[in-house]
Amino acid sequence: MRLQVRHSTGYSYDTEVLSSYNEARLVPQTGLTQLTLSSAVTTNPDALQQRYWDYWGTQVTVFDVHVPHTELQVTCTSVVDTAPAPAPGDPTWELLAASSDEHIELLRPSAKTIPNDDLKALASDAQGSPRDVVLALSGMVKDRVEYVPGSTGVQTSAVDAWQLGSGVCQDIAHVTLSLLREAGVPARYVSGYLHTAQEPVVGETVSGESHAWVEAWLGGWWGFDPTNGIPAGERHVVVARGRDYNDLPPLKGVYAGGGMQYLGVTVEVTRLA
Amino acid sequence: MLSRVAESLYWIGRYVERAEDTSRLLDVHVHTLIEDPWVDEHIASRDVLSVMGVPLPDGRLDARRTTDRLAFDREDTSSIVGALSAARENARGVREALSSELWEALNATYHALPAQQAAAERHGPGGFFRYVRERAAFIGGLLDGTMPRDDGWRFLVLGRSLERVDMTARLLWARGQQRGASSGWIGLLKSCSAHEAYLRTYRTAVEPEKVVEFLVLDRLFPRSVYAALAQAETCLMELDPTAGRVGVDDMARRLLGRARTDLEFRVSSDLLRELPFLLDMLQTTCAEVGSAVAGRYFHHTAALAWTAER
Amino acid sequence: MGDLFDGYALGAAWDEVFGRDGQPHPECGPLHAALQEMSAEELTSRSTALTRAFRDQGVTFSLSGEERTFPLDLVPRVVTHEQWVDVEKGVQQRVKALEAFLADVYGEQQAVKEGIVPRRVVVSSSAHCTPAHGVEPPNGVRVHVSGVDLIRDEEGRFRVLEDNLRTPSGISYVVENRRAMARVFPELFATHRVRPVADYPSRLLNALRAAAPHGITDPTVVVLTPGVFNSAYFEHSLLARLMGVELVEGRDLLCRDGVIWMRTTAGEQRVDVVYRRIDDDFLDPLHFRPDSMVGCPGILNAARAGNVTIANAVGNGVADDKLIYTYVPDLIRYYLGEEPVLLNVETHRLDDLDQRAWVLDHLDELVLKPVDGSGGKGLVIGPQASDEDLHELSLAILRDPRAWIAQRVVQISTSPTSVGDRLAPRHVDLRPFAVNDGEHIWVVPGGLTRVALPEGSLVVNSSQGGGSKDTWVLAGEEGPAEGDPEEPVLRPAAPGEHKLDRGPWQDQQQQQQQELSC
Repeated sequence: MRLQVRHSTGYSYDTEVLSSYNEARLVPQTGLTQLTLSSAVTTNPDALQQRYWDYWGTQVTVFDVHVPHTELQVTCTSVVDTAPAPAPGDPTWELLAASSDEHIELLRPSAKTIPNDDLKALASDAQGSPRDVVLALSGMVKDRVEYVPGSTGVQTSAVDAWQLGSGVCQDIAHVTLSLLREAGVPARYVSGYLHTAQEPVVGETVSGESHAWVEAWLGGWWGFDPTNGIPAGERHVVVARGRDYNDLPPLKGVYAGGGMQYLGVTVEVTRLA
Repeated sequence: MLSRVAESLYWIGRYVERAEDTSRLLDVHVHTLIEDPWVDEHIASRDVLSVMGVPLPDGRLDARRTTDRLAFDREDTSSIVGALSAARENARGVREALSSELWEALNATYHALPAQQAAAERHGPGGFFRYVRERAAFIGGLLDGTMPRDDGWRFLVLGRSLERVDMTARLLWARGQQRGASSGWIGLLKSCSAHEAYLRTYRTAVEPEKVVEFLVLDRLFPRSVYAALAQAETCLMELDPTAGRVGVDDMARRLLGRARTDLEFRVSSDLLRELPFLLDMLQTTCAEVGSAVAGRYFHHTAALAWTAER
Repeated sequence: MGDLFDGYALGAAWDEVFGRDGQPHPECGPLHAALQEMSAEELTSRSTALTRAFRDQGVTFSLSGEERTFPLDLVPRVVTHEQWVDVEKGVQQRVKALEAFLADVYGEQQAVKEGIVPRRVVVSSSAHCTPAHGVEPPNGVRVHVSGVDLIRDEEGRFRVLEDNLRTPSGISYVVENRRAMARVFPELFATHRVRPVADYPSRLLNALRAAAPHGITDPTVVVLTPGVFNSAYFEHSLLARLMGVELVEGRDLLCRDGVIWMRTTAGEQRVDVVYRRIDDDFLDPLHFRPDSMVGCPGILNAARAGNVTIANAVGNGVADDKLIYTYVPDLIRYYLGEEPVLLNVETHRLDDLDQRAWVLDHLDELVLKPVDGSGGKGLVIGPQASDEDLHELSLAILRDPRAWIAQRVVQISTSPTSVGDRLAPRHVDLRPFAVNDGEHIWVVPGGLTRVALPEGSLVVNSSQGGGSKDTWVLAGEEGPAEGDPEEPVLRPAAPGEHKLDRGPWQDQQQQQQQELSC
């Protein structure tokens, strides 16, 4: 499926900012199930860009602004070919154990996914092969943590959302990661976009949001969207992967000046073919 | 040269000169009180404090209180100890730009201050003033003898010269307030180390008109206002030797040049009468030159506080 | 006459001057003899003069806002040529292996794949720095300057206590101590052939210039300091002065479009190499602590773009993590195919269940160190700790075993040190400094000998009541070692014919004197 994504975000500042240094993680990845055909980041004020791939394989757009400004806007427009979801692998626990050193960072709790006793108990209750455990645990989360937009913030952890019983896609992903890792399955956080129509119509633009889901290692990486309870497939566009949200904020930076407000995000997704 | 370093060097020049001139002023003040039984200690002390721009404290003033305030107030850079401490603090931040000897002289001077101050408590402040003058001379000698004549040197000397203009103006102002007694004019000359030079130049008794003429206009005496202005101007010219075709586009140099020519082409017999106006002009010039130099060379050296975007 | 050595008691530790039989080691004979002739008053007065000179020169460090001089003990520590050859080789070997390890960690991770070091150990290090991945140093050097802390064990063998690959400090004391000793004890230098240490700044400058970004033939090097309130400010300033480069603070720098500039009176000037003496955490607010006011935002990405070189490289701390330390002998074998020249101290890894259990049973016999502390921070010496402390310690270990290592209590060597009006044995270590210019790793002949001034203390650190000694590496027979190009000797023309000019008055006086003496 060929999808076009347009993602706009930014900040407004209370007083004039003379300089700011920023990193944007907005460019979709190219990998086995996804091909990024084009992607362009534009900023306002205009700035020279540098790009690099970070430790987690995400393409980072670096730019600094040196003209006085009270608002910073960043827009990324990309065209991506996606592939249908593959079937999950079915490895043995021995295979997982043998690769544990390689995946150690994705097996241990990260800052936002530290489990509490509740989550630990749930994880140890899951029985069967790694695949059974992954399917059981990740399918269960959306019933326990309700998707309620605005109920949490970027600083919310897995346990916060679990105790609250509600959250956004980011929180549901964090809870899922916490459970999978506790159960001994390497799992990573994925950020990107979802075309929200079940059957996307070519040429029709839908407004969406940044989305987040997880990937578990079952001999190979397998993506699952716990918010919607579906495997990550053609309608999912991958931008970044990491241990949790902290590894891949869409926009981060520092500036010298007074207070600021986040302008929020607008995302438009269009099926092109 | 780094802007931050240039700024520190400039202020080292200013502070050392300030400490020296203040100690000269106080030395003469204390001596006057001792030698002249008709001087009103309170009024004389008040004049000294006000000429230094220090707010007047309540109550009766005496030499002791004046000295404590202008010599030993550690927190205020308008006192000797405060100025020398500030000079040393600045030097500490730029010591790689100073010769080792110059840095050590500033540092050792600073470290010796508590002992010198204690000695002043016991034996009177004369020794302290002499110490400060000698150290200033020592520092000046090292400045001349161990520093290359590069931009660093120019900023040091620029600071020193501007401070000298300002301080000499203040000394004249203090004298101009009082009418009469020629001993006061001798004191003024002495506080500028100018008594002997004056006598050799004029070969007459001390006359107010001539004293003013000498201290304002003499081209050869290094502590005259004219000489200090010219020195400062030279520093600025050497800092930016690319003179354009028309006039002078460096604001600080323009200000200095105007002040210098204004003095230079005055009728010297009018000087004494015009003194209040002139001194006001000089002090304004010093302040404006200071901010022009800062604007041009010391741009934006405060540390920025960064905030994470969220 | 009182002998300075009266009552000098040898303990279990190796002594730097005396053998077990109470006789001085051969290399210490002349020193011992010279000291014996000296009275306590003489030593004290030389020492007082020295402290004053240090204070006036500003040879100080800051401790909680107070400026202090780092006490220099006047009895030097002597190292023979033969001993030094081993130290030099060992340090070079170690730095080479650690360079290879860092290139590997921030690159292909071969040693991890081949199981030399488990990946879990590498990535769980608090100093493993993910933003440092992808920053390629232009000449391959990450460890431009290193300080490998050595001690001598009970048998007199040098062992490595820890590696310092981030921003090791102390070289200024090496340089200043030597200058001071030459003034205080000129006669001792006449009887010892001591190798000079004054080369350090020019070696460092060469190494920094060699590390410049590709295509820069005449690089601008700066030293980046956190400012006058930093404890090692004196050193930053000294190095800048002796290298003839600018000492900058973060506020003097500006990153624009991936290039670093410094603000000068003549406008902005491009900077190519930054010898930074700021910790990673404070270096770049964009990647690390955003509240840092001493750093330069954007500098890490500028280095990534190849427009500036940061020395030492960001992320070096992963290689001086004390758990990694336990793997260094294996790393030397793996990368260099050599046996380690310098031994480690016997160390237990606490992420291993069996070793942890054993260590928890024997806490009162061991030294426990946090893996990321340097300079003795957080260290617990079992035999000297209270039961309560040991209990706290065992809880801390169980909470986070990765954060600790355990070592045997080594009676590190002692050296005669002024205490009151006598010399008494005090424990010493040695930090030699190595400079890597990409072609050659040069080790300063000597380094910083730190001495623990409180009696019996095994912690040698300036912030914990420590002092220093000048380290004298004696020259060998064959002259300068490899990599030490001999300085050309300039012989001045004989001054014979040229008389000194005199003023007219002096001539008169001389005549008068001649007349008088006739």
